[in-house]
Amino acid sequence: MFSRYKHSLVAATLSVSCWLAGATPLPAAEITLPPETAKLVESSLPGYATALALCSTCHSADYQRMQPPNLPRTYWKATVVKMQKTFGAPIPDEAIEPITDYLVKTYGAERATVSPPRERGAPKQGR
Amino acid sequence: MIDQTNPQPAGLDRRHFLKTAGVLAASAMASPKTWAGEMVSLPFENGARELVTYPQKRPLLLLTARPPQLETPFSVFNEGVITPNDAFFVRYHLSDIPTRIDPSSYRVRIRGAVNTPRELSLADLEALGDPMDVVAVNQCSGNSRGFFSPRVPGGQLGHGAMGNAKWTGVPLKRVLEKAGVAAGARQVTFDGLDRGVVAATPDFVKALDIDHALDGEVMLAYAMNGADIPMLNGYPLRLVVPGYYGTYWVKHVSDITVVDSIYAGFWMNPAYRVPDNPSRSVNPGEAPKKTVPITRFSIRSFITSLADGVQVRAGRETAVRGIAFDGGQGIREVQFSSDGGRTWRGTTLGQDLGRYSFREWKTAFTPSAAGKFELMARAFNRAGESQPLEPLWNPAGYMRNVVEKVNITAA
Repeated sequence: MFSRYKHSLVAATLSVSCWLAGATPLPAAEITLPPETAKLVESSLPGYATALALCSTCHSADYQRMQPPNLPRTYWKATVVKMQKTFGAPIPDEAIEPITDYLVKTYGAERATVSPPRERGAPKQGR
Repeated sequence: MIDQTNPQPAGLDRRHFLKTAGVLAASAMASPKTWAGEMVSLPFENGARELVTYPQKRPLLLLTARPPQLETPFSVFNEGVITPNDAFFVRYHLSDIPTRIDPSSYRVRIRGAVNTPRELSLADLEALGDPMDVVAVNQCSGNSRGFFSPRVPGGQLGHGAMGNAKWTGVPLKRVLEKAGVAAGARQVTFDGLDRGVVAATPDFVKALDIDHALDGEVMLAYAMNGADIPMLNGYPLRLVVPGYYGTYWVKHVSDITVVDSIYAGFWMNPAYRVPDNPSRSVNPGEAPKKTVPITRFSIRSFITSLADGVQVRAGRETAVRGIAFDGGQGIREVQFSSDGGRTWRGTTLGQDLGRYSFREWKTAFTPSAAGKFELMARAFNRAGESQPLEPLWNPAGYMRNVVEKVNITAA
């Protein structure tokens, strides 16, 4: 795998001129992505295991982690519902409340240990 | 509209993250140094970012790993007006992305309301002739979203989701003419090889009006700054829409479909919409009554040579420089203020690389005495448009273009 990666970098550098010149068939360009490092914050809340199983199917935990920390429950619930209804995530209806509860208490406005916010007040709207 | 059951163009091997994560973790791809986790702190709450090294990239700020979203460190913009390929930001929406592409078997299909559907190889595209270059900024709609106040959800970007490159390719017009646009065509949709992990996820498909698609400026680019487009930026073929936000710059373009209606897929509606008013903004916290698709960049400028919080020598001349750009009118003037916007003076513009490019500006600043100075730049384009002194707000966190401030100390 490592040697193929190095090879692909060479291929990437050369191939514009090669295929424009109509020359010999080109090697494929290939990359290998680094492993993801973010993990959902562990919790004894019942929604944690569900979030781990369902949210992680489609995206890394960076998505939860990076959000502004004061987002309210309405935002997190709307997001879980959006993942279910719009993005087609296989989230059962009965899992929506537990996942929302875990997210807002871990990443949102209902965190138990809230670091001093630099700016006060959550957005009035959710998306 | 896009036939998902049809086999994708040959030459593509999809790699599913979930199946291979363990293999990847054991591989020696990444330099351990960069994984030691050097951090950058963006100046808003929860703004700590890890610097990570992805294939064909120098260390960039990690926003998300799956799908990859990487931000350019702001210092890169002081290195020159062209953003190097290995520093260019990365933004995917969906996690099933191509990681191996065979350029010799790559095909792009042109279908829908056309006289003759086509399936073109990269060599076919080149053979169309009329190759063109354009130096153009690509900027994410949500660039600088982290600075919105009140904060809004979404990708919490600093100012680094933008870049300026020389794109080489063929005009989309030539490609569409090859297929022959049928009467009644209203839009053209663009799909790339990136897809959702679950089948029900809306595919990332974008649409341009037919007149825009045929304007001779929209292009299918096969090279970026004279080299192959990096895989994570859309190798081997990317739609380039000069002056328009990056959401339209579809990567790994595989399917171009001419349609006789206004395409209403998720990524055109309700995603990537702005308030339907001239300022594209609403009162903070409010929801817009009506929205339209986001289109052209608003005008922006940045000081790149001095970072917030730095110290300079009182009584000594300090060189100041930066960049400015807009949605395609071209930059006419950049003004500089060292007193928090009370007074402004002109600056010297650098080389003109075209109306879609970053434009360098330069001036000199001599702090008269020790103390604090609030530095600002504001740009004007050839249509007379400039930047607001107070930020505009919208719920999606798009199109920030307020006059930015850099606070420094002279001692």
